[in-house]
Amino acid sequence: MDNPQLDTGSQHHELFLQEIEGIDDYWGPTFRAIYDGDEHQKFMERLDARIKSHDKDIERMCNFHYQGFIDSIRELLQVRSQAKNLNSEIVEIDQELQTSTANVLVKGEALVQARKVESNIASAIKNLSLCLPVLTTYAKLQRQMKEKRYYPALKTLEQLEHLYLPQVANYRFSHQMKQNIPKLRENIKEASMSDLRDFLENIRKFSPKIGEVAMRHTAEQLGSDPGIIGRKKRQAPPLPNPFTGEVDYEQPAESTYDAEEDLSAQDLIDFSPVYRCLHIYTVLGSRETFETYYRKQRKKQARLVLQPPTNMHETIAGYQAYIHGIVGFFVVEDHVLNTGNGLVNRTYLDEVWSMALSKIVNALRTHSAYCTDATLMLKIKNLIMLFNTTLRNYGYSVNQLFDLLHEIRDHYNEVLMQRWVQVFREILDEESFLPIQVSSQAEYDNVVESFPFHDQALELTPFPKRFPFSPLVPKVYQQVKEFIYACLKFSEDLNLSQAAVDDMVRKSTNLLLTRSFSGCLSSLFRKPSLALLQVIQIIIDTGYLENATVYLEEFVSNITGAPKESHMGSRGQGQSSMFRVARDDAEHQICDKLKWKLDEFLELENYDWLLVEPKGHASSFITDLIAFLQSIFISFTNLPPEVAQEACKSACEHIAKSVLGFMLSEDVKQISMGALQQVNLDTIQCEQFAASEPVAGLEEGALLHYFADLRQLLDLFMTWDWPTYFHDYGQENSKYQQVNPNTAIILLEKLREADKKNVFSVLKKSERDKKKLLETVLKQLRQLALTAQQQ
Amino acid sequence: MAKTYDYLFKLLLIGDSGVGKTCVLFRFSEDAFNTTFISTIGIDFKIRTIELDGKKIKLQIWDTAGQERFRTITTAYYRGAMGIMLVYDITNEKSFENIKNWIRNIEENASADVEKMLLGNKCELNEKRQVTKERGEQLAIEYGIKFMETSAKASIHVEEAFFTLARDIKTKMEKKLEASNPPKGGHQLKSYEPQRKPPSWLSRCTLL
Repeated sequence: MDNPQLDTGSQHHELFLQEIEGIDDYWGPTFRAIYDGDEHQKFMERLDARIKSHDKDIERMCNFHYQGFIDSIRELLQVRSQAKNLNSEIVEIDQELQTSTANVLVKGEALVQARKVESNIASAIKNLSLCLPVLTTYAKLQRQMKEKRYYPALKTLEQLEHLYLPQVANYRFSHQMKQNIPKLRENIKEASMSDLRDFLENIRKFSPKIGEVAMRHTAEQLGSDPGIIGRKKRQAPPLPNPFTGEVDYEQPAESTYDAEEDLSAQDLIDFSPVYRCLHIYTVLGSRETFETYYRKQRKKQARLVLQPPTNMHETIAGYQAYIHGIVGFFVVEDHVLNTGNGLVNRTYLDEVWSMALSKIVNALRTHSAYCTDATLMLKIKNLIMLFNTTLRNYGYSVNQLFDLLHEIRDHYNEVLMQRWVQVFREILDEESFLPIQVSSQAEYDNVVESFPFHDQALELTPFPKRFPFSPLVPKVYQQVKEFIYACLKFSEDLNLSQAAVDDMVRKSTNLLLTRSFSGCLSSLFRKPSLALLQVIQIIIDTGYLENATVYLEEFVSNITGAPKESHMGSRGQGQSSMFRVARDDAEHQICDKLKWKLDEFLELENYDWLLVEPKGHASSFITDLIAFLQSIFISFTNLPPEVAQEACKSACEHIAKSVLGFMLSEDVKQISMGALQQVNLDTIQCEQFAASEPVAGLEEGALLHYFADLRQLLDLFMTWDWPTYFHDYGQENSKYQQVNPNTAIILLEKLREADKKNVFSVLKKSERDKKKLLETVLKQLRQLALTAQQQ
Repeated sequence: MAKTYDYLFKLLLIGDSGVGKTCVLFRFSEDAFNTTFISTIGIDFKIRTIELDGKKIKLQIWDTAGQERFRTITTAYYRGAMGIMLVYDITNEKSFENIKNWIRNIEENASADVEKMLLGNKCELNEKRQVTKERGEQLAIEYGIKFMETSAKASIHVEEAFFTLARDIKTKMEKKLEASNPPKGGHQLKSYEPQRKPPSWLSRCTLL
């Protein structure tokens, strides 16, 4: 400053100072620059100077700011206490806040919790409301199952499966349910099936009852108005349908069913299980299975029903039970056909029916064949008739059964005949075979009423009157009438033409008389206690019965109402011979009885074959026999002439043969001439009887003719007329035409044998000659016999 | 021909209608009984062979109708009869009383020496009895004939009655033969063995 040289030095110092002042550090270069110059004393002085200046500045400044500093400290001290206050205040507030917020916090927490719960609840409700229908439906399902309302149950199940369950698919229970659904379906199926089984069981139990009721209704119907039988098919009355209307739509016909038709048979049974089951199976798509099952089961039942009870033939109840069962079965089937919505169709039913029909026919045929009770058979017939009508009303074809009835009718007729055999037997057993004797007009009328007999002469004779016939005649006549009535009884309402009935009655009556009555008579004839005269009365009686045939004819025509022509037509071969067989038999019998009786006499024969001299009169057995014959033939006058003649002829023939037989018998070895003469005497006795015309109307010599053999033989031997015999032998007009050489030989040999006994004969010449002649004759006869044989 | 019998006896059954003649005969010939009453018409007979003392005897028994209207037919048979059974019914007083008439009939029509016997039939019906046994016996004694009560139904005394009658006839006949027909031998096939000299003719009447 002071000096420019000096001044330039000072300036540099100043700068250095500023630099030191200005820079906090990095003072190195500055210091170097100072040290580099030689003025560092000076700069020291300047620096001191400068420090003194700055100290002075600081002193002044400190003087200046001191008060302010004190004030500030004072103030600062104040701030400190205030800060302390403030702090405590804040702490207090904080404390307060702390206490008050703790509550809030708790509430807040609770609130959060509540909020959470609320939202949970909401979502739960939402889900539950989805599940609820599922569960209610399920419950409903269960309930319906329990109540066995399977069809609604099935619907519910459907709903459950398709509507509700998909919405809640992700629950375990819904899975379970889903899995359960097929099972439930199966359960429903089974349950409804078991219901059906119960139904089937039930129906089997009730079938006979239904049948009975159905038949009773038919019977009532028949009773009240027989005209309407079969006029229209009876509609099965509808049942309250368990299913809402569907079925009813398909069955409009049912609504037209008239109310007066009885409800009845089907009311006894509840068909709903069938419909239900059918619907369930239809819904489940296995209708086919069900149909097959149902039909199979019913067919099985049909077979059971068609199995007749083993002792059915014993009582009508057996038949009734059987028939009712069958009717019941088919009435039920018919009902199912009409209401079952095609479960049963006509084809199936027809098939079952035709199977049944043949079985029924067989069963009835077999069992009725055992029957021997006509009353029972009538009952069976009525039962079958009712059965026919009932089933025909239901639309079944019953023609075969009518054929069966015809068969049963034949059997019935047989049974009747059996019964009448008994009746006839009783009549015959009790019969005395004496002509009816009446002592009053009333008695007379009684007989005439029961038997068509009119005789002017008898009417005029005073009481007591005697009818020519025995009580057998009116009794049998009445019984034949009874039989005809009984026969007709079966044919009643059998839908036969009058001609057929007429024919049948005639046939059976004919058979009854030709077979049964005749049979009874022939067994009567076999009784040893029946006397010859009773046989005669029987012949007379049968004669009257035969005459009464015309009245029987009329009687039949009257009750059958068949035209006269047909009856005239059948008369020729059938009716008139009704009693013919019995008569023929009786006539035959009289000859046999007579012969039998004659044999008893002839057995009494006791010829002494070595008799020297004849007794001079006929043997007593012959006289007795002739006397007996005479008294018998007196009673023959009541007989038809040809019968009496026949009997008489056969008696004579028998006697002649027997007498001849005595002589030719091998037991008789020798015959004396005396014995031969005795036989001759007896023969004469017989011939006298034969010639006495014991029975009227015979040709002359007709009876004698039977003794011709015997007579010629005896004559030949009595007259010893051998030359004539040999001369005329073989000629038409020979006196001894009937004498067979062989017969003569036998007799001649017996004579020879007898002669041998006569010891004296050899001594007399005449005897010797006689013997010689006998030998010659014998020889000639043998020759003749031989040639006769050769021819 | 071998002889089937030694004697032939003809017997007759008489008595009122319904006393059981036919039944008695039926019992004897067939050993049977027929409950139904069949009135005999006219006349009928049965034959049965019996054996007595080694002899075969044929009994030809005639059954007559009891009814009045057959009387003419039946009386014709009386003559040949060797024995007659008079039958009454113990339950029928009238039939017993009528025996007298029948005896008279016999006396008129039959041979005098005919053997007779009285039978009270139906003795099984004791509770209906109208004729006591004593009365029957009494009547028989009166006529000097034998008496028996019989029952054809219960088969009581029927055999015995016929055997008794047959035996009586046989005895009588043998006596008669001995008396009237001494054995000639030779051709007689029926050899009636004469054992005794002909007894008194009176013995023939002693019966009982």
